[in-house]
Amino acid sequence: MKPLIVEISGLHKAFGKQQVLQGVDWSIEPGKVIGLLGRNGAGKSTLLECLLGLREADAGASLVYGEVATALSDHVRADIGYVPQQSELFSWLTPLQLLDYFKALYPRWNTAKVDGLMQRWGFGGEAGNKQIGKLSGGEKQRLSIIRALAHDPKLLVLDEPVASLDPVGRRDFLHELVDGVIERDTTVIFSTHILSDLERVALDVAFLQGGRITLQAPLDELLESAHRITGTGAALAGLKFVDEIRRQQDAGGGVSILARLSGAEAVALRAGPELRVETLSLEDLFVEVTK
Amino acid sequence: MATHTASLFSIATGSSDPIYRQLIEQVRRFIAAAVLKPGDILPSVRDVALVLAVNPMTVSKAYNMLETEGLLSRARGVGMLVAERRSAIKHDREHLMRPILERAGAEARQLELDPAAVMTLFAKILEEYK
Repeated sequence: MKPLIVEISGLHKAFGKQQVLQGVDWSIEPGKVIGLLGRNGAGKSTLLECLLGLREADAGASLVYGEVATALSDHVRADIGYVPQQSELFSWLTPLQLLDYFKALYPRWNTAKVDGLMQRWGFGGEAGNKQIGKLSGGEKQRLSIIRALAHDPKLLVLDEPVASLDPVGRRDFLHELVDGVIERDTTVIFSTHILSDLERVALDVAFLQGGRITLQAPLDELLESAHRITGTGAALAGLKFVDEIRRQQDAGGGVSILARLSGAEAVALRAGPELRVETLSLEDLFVEVTK
Repeated sequence: MATHTASLFSIATGSSDPIYRQLIEQVRRFIAAAVLKPGDILPSVRDVALVLAVNPMTVSKAYNMLETEGLLSRARGVGMLVAERRSAIKHDREHLMRPILERAGAEARQLELDPAAVMTLFAKILEEYK
């Protein structure tokens, strides 16, 4: 087995009385591209912050490259790129000043990549010398991504990286991920609600729900195996599935089951006249899993 | 022998078909329709990944499975080629209809329709599109 890049065990975090993380166990292997999914307020940002040691957990631990996240050595730190949801960039600096400042902090800095991205992502002209506080939300987010990619990180953590980008900006970002990041075998963890983007680049998905990672699987396998089976309570009462995710009954007595089925199981179920057996899109799956 | 560009492919997100499946299906259809002919060179994994903005691993997965199936073959230094055909194209075209007809069959069973009535309906539909 390959050494793990991130190893989280029993992570708990509460804000006052509100329990956000309630025993997260999560392991991430090198080279994975993982989409972290969950409802608003599920604790995705908190989890990513605890993962990186930017926020102290109440209990449990996060190890990054085998080191305790809250006490990372400089060389592990230099291998990590992070795009926070709210960019806390220095609003009094200009983009060019900011990048100069960070350049001095990192042992490795890909100047050619930074210059290329600055040109292509709209900081070639005036915007490069404008105060960051006066940039639009999308510009700030693009700058934050450039900063995170500048030192060719081996682990890239992105918290809603495209939330304030328009479709063109999102596509530019995907291109950069495909061309400059995934090709170098970088491990990428990103949270997003834009499922169409996630489908394009994520090979695995993890669902954070009720303070835990409740489901993690390769996206292709999940789309192929996840089925919604609906029918009358009587028709479904006797059916048990090895990989049943959820079962619920509606007011009319109908039952709906979400389960991962093998190809043979799905064919066998479809042959029965009383059941409805459907495959699901990622969006349907998100709705079903996080109910 | 033609070299094809990555714009050969298109994908839809929000489908229950994973992207690699969509790519496999498209290659099968292009071969059946002779858009892709034996010896044709497919666009590189990297080009397809960039044009479609998808993970290169997804494209490799599709190409590898098509190679295992014998529809594509790998040529050193050239890339992926459309393999020489062993079976008749007609068979492939019929094969492509199968999943759709299977779904129609399942639907007919759910509606508890008489097989003869379904066949009559299908014959009528084929007539209408002539």
